[in-house]
Amino acid sequence: MQPLGKAASDDDRPLIERVRRGDQDAARILYERYFDRIYNYVYARLGRAEDAEDLAIDTMTRSLTRLDLFRDQGVAFSSWVYRIAHNATIDHYRRQGKAILVPLESATVPVSADPSELAVDQLSNDDLREALRALTDEQQQVLILRFFQDLTAAQAARIMGKSVGAVQALQHRALGSLERVLHGRTNN
Amino acid sequence: MTPEVQRLERLAERLRSVDPVMPSPGAKIRGWNLVLAAVEQSASGRSRSHPVRRLVLAAVAAAVLLVGGAVAASADSLPDSALYPLKAVVENVRGALAFSPSDKFAYHLDLARTRLTEAEAMIARHRLDLAGQALSGLNDQLNQAALVVQAEQLSDPALAASLENRLVQAIAMHDQQLAGLQGQVTNPAAIAAITQARDRAAQALQTAAKPTSSDGGKPSTTSSDKGPGNGASATPHTTPKH
Repeated sequence: MQPLGKAASDDDRPLIERVRRGDQDAARILYERYFDRIYNYVYARLGRAEDAEDLAIDTMTRSLTRLDLFRDQGVAFSSWVYRIAHNATIDHYRRQGKAILVPLESATVPVSADPSELAVDQLSNDDLREALRALTDEQQQVLILRFFQDLTAAQAARIMGKSVGAVQALQHRALGSLERVLHGRTNN
Repeated sequence: MTPEVQRLERLAERLRSVDPVMPSPGAKIRGWNLVLAAVEQSASGRSRSHPVRRLVLAAVAAAVLLVGGAVAASADSLPDSALYPLKAVVENVRGALAFSPSDKFAYHLDLARTRLTEAEAMIARHRLDLAGQALSGLNDQLNQAALVVQAEQLSDPALAASLENRLVQAIAMHDQQLAGLQGQVTNPAAIAAITQARDRAAQALQTAAKPTSSDGGKPSTTSSDKGPGNGASATPHTTPKH
């Protein structure tokens, strides 16, 4: 998965214009550029490959067929796509009637020599993904964008509609919450 | 730095190292087919001045609905799937409905991308025989696209230049993907197949740049032509067979 740099966002503009004129090649390039990232983002939220596929496809369809709603006025296309993915995820939760949380009971969190500390390096990827889903919506979003998607605080701020400072504060709280969730697993 | 900040920094670093979860190649193909259909529908809705195109799209849509679930399921099938031959039929229908040079060109480029995605999937599944066929199909489609460009050089040089530019971009993108793929495989046969595919893709550019012969504007042939049915028209596709 390619990192989402500023250059990629800038490169989107001529492609967007071509898609508006019906150019399928340009649509394909944007699809290739974003599909994996969006799939990864949605999967991190839901934890189910089938749902992640459906929502990633839905997100790309909406993004590339509703370009008349997208106006490049300070908001990058990438931010717009992530917002669509986020809204699709929220809609999915609503349709399900509740948040789909993968049960943590199945996770096994390693204990450090010092009981007050997590053995972070020994945590499995699945443990981390599952623990992350126990956080609030915004906390999940900020950690996924910053660490799974490797976005800068400024990019995450644009996607979340917050200031950079607010994102940094939220990130700090989210990491603290994640640590507590993982500790809870250790102590249970 | 306080102990709490240090702990959270370590946790953040650990999160950064979590491997990304990627979609399956089949899901990616299925997604593109659905997105492409939506984009085409969206474009046709905007394009009120092209009634013939709308009629063709309506006919294609009706045909797709009539053929039903099997065809839909075949759209994202891969070369090792039982539904793959049906995909070939659908692609042939699409080719038959591509009348203008631009449509033919787009058709061949689209199939080239599909073949490349299939090749990636087959390599991931260690089906090197099918991967080789898909790569061969990729090159055939690029060559067909190049022949469309070549055929337009006399009749519409501006269009030919535009198409050639798109072909250059497409081949560059394919080459980038193939290079990435080449870096991931270790099997010598797979590496050789990918190398050959990259070379043949580059040859397609030379074909596009060649002047057409003067005998009625027919495109000149290249060493990679395979005989009848491989001309500039929207000929039946070259989906690799099992």
